[in-house]
Amino acid sequence: MSQHYIEIININGQASIQDLGRLNAQHLGFTASGAADEFAFLTANQLIADHHNITDPDKRQRNCAAIEITLGQISFRANAACIIAITGADCDAKINNITIKNWQCHQLQTNDIIAFAMPINGLHSYLAVMAGVTCQVEQKPWLGSFAQTRNEMALGFTGAPLIAGSKLYFSSPASGLKNPVVPVKANKPISSPKRFYAQHKLTLRVMPSALFLQMPIELQQRFLAHEYIISADSNRMGYRLHLKAEQTRLFDQRILAESLRSRCLLSMPVTYGMIQFPANEQPIILMKERQTMGGYPVLGTVMQTDLFRLSQMRPGEKVNFTLINHQQAQQQLRAFYQRF
Amino acid sequence: MADKLAHFQASFCLDIVAENALLLSWRSEISTAQHNEIIALQTVIEQQLGELIIETIASYHCLMVYFNHQVITSADIIEQIKQLAQYHQQNNKLTDYIPAADCIEIPVYYDTEQKWDLAEVAHQCNMSNDEVIKQHSSTIYRGFALGFTPGFCYLASLPNILHLPRKSSPRTQVPKGAVAIAEQQTAVYPNQSPGGWHIIGQTPLPMYSTKNGQFNAKINVGQNVKFYAISKAEFIVMQQGLSV
Repeated sequence: MSQHYIEIININGQASIQDLGRLNAQHLGFTASGAADEFAFLTANQLIADHHNITDPDKRQRNCAAIEITLGQISFRANAACIIAITGADCDAKINNITIKNWQCHQLQTNDIIAFAMPINGLHSYLAVMAGVTCQVEQKPWLGSFAQTRNEMALGFTGAPLIAGSKLYFSSPASGLKNPVVPVKANKPISSPKRFYAQHKLTLRVMPSALFLQMPIELQQRFLAHEYIISADSNRMGYRLHLKAEQTRLFDQRILAESLRSRCLLSMPVTYGMIQFPANEQPIILMKERQTMGGYPVLGTVMQTDLFRLSQMRPGEKVNFTLINHQQAQQQLRAFYQRF
Repeated sequence: MADKLAHFQASFCLDIVAENALLLSWRSEISTAQHNEIIALQTVIEQQLGELIIETIASYHCLMVYFNHQVITSADIIEQIKQLAQYHQQNNKLTDYIPAADCIEIPVYYDTEQKWDLAEVAHQCNMSNDEVIKQHSSTIYRGFALGFTPGFCYLASLPNILHLPRKSSPRTQVPKGAVAIAEQQTAVYPNQSPGGWHIIGQTPLPMYSTKNGQFNAKINVGQNVKFYAISKAEFIVMQQGLSV
């Protein structure tokens, strides 16, 4: 086990360790958690795999734990030479004060400082290394994942929250660091991130719920006609949406009739992307750190590839909804994972 | 999208709710017989479909089934689940999967010092503190769902006279082991957390244990639970005994 690490020198935003999440512990009450933006997370690990010529049929590097940095403003010092990949929100990253490119691998030498500024657009950035990082030496995954969840940190199963002074240990088995680090060659171009993300406004494709299909067509259309604004109290658990003030006045009629709402009183399991519709009719989209049970009516589920895009959008930016069927959504998700 | 709402045998509906998830839903009610059918079908699905299934989560009237969408389409997994359900329902085999009716006993120091909500609950329900304690501890409850936070098991049903809506404003901190009620449910908070239920007591018993990287909830879905009153002295002794 490696004793090499990078250490957090300064942190003003938020950072946590993330992988693809704890996918089979929801029946115990654990949130699935995991990287908010899987496109950026998987790309970071793909860059590392390509650099080290990892031809792993199991694609193990794909799900290695990386550091998810939210709103930048963090710096690290490397205690050993290593190769890192950075992706996601562009934080004008610098190694020893020299600007480096986003969506690429870079080499750090011992004592190098890498600093991330606050991004101008987007929220989450990823820093990945070969075989992943942990916040304790010889840390084992908890129920299949290293993902940290804010509401579950106090349980103590996934190490301590990341703060200044936290050391992020490389899990790399011998092969990663024993050999001299190969300098980073010209990077292969990666699938264009610019084309993946939306600029300030995103149309979310939704698989409608049984409840939605029971609503009168006219009210379904009204819901789809709304343009929503992302609220300031959105986070990794959920994105809260509200209407612009003038739209609220325009539509004083309710979208979900009390007769339909009253059929949804018992708590039930909820999943990633579900659109909860509380009595105030301000939708909440469930994100990676959602709780496992919910008691609000659900209008539908946003397809996952759009949720990765949504996770990079900020309060004040706009979204609306359009319908998609589940076959199309499933095809898109399958095609998405085939890229990695 | 007509297949979204495939009624099946009139006993449950099957909806595709995500690229990798199906939701089976029964009548929206709290019923032991119905819940037995849900968890029996859950066991059958997990045992028979093995690798195709990522996990299943049961609640009062629903079963969420996460499947491996890279390996099987939603249409195919639905077909397999329908066949399993049909076979087991027709042959009355689901009863083989109903868990044994053992009963977990949970000691509770009911809040006679009035630190929490016992007196308020008694007032709202128009009865004495002792009557609330008697009502709460004389019922056998059933675990209907695990969720909210790890190891938190929703138990039902509370006697009708104790039904109260959730507190209008949730507490930011509920103590570990708090025994609480809301609507027709009761539960124990496994850890200190925020919470909107009425706290009537506290148990010294931990709600989960961990061993070899496994997490074991004290109360599992489908199990029966009974509460019994202990004194403050007993609470302290048990708490200390358990922490040694």
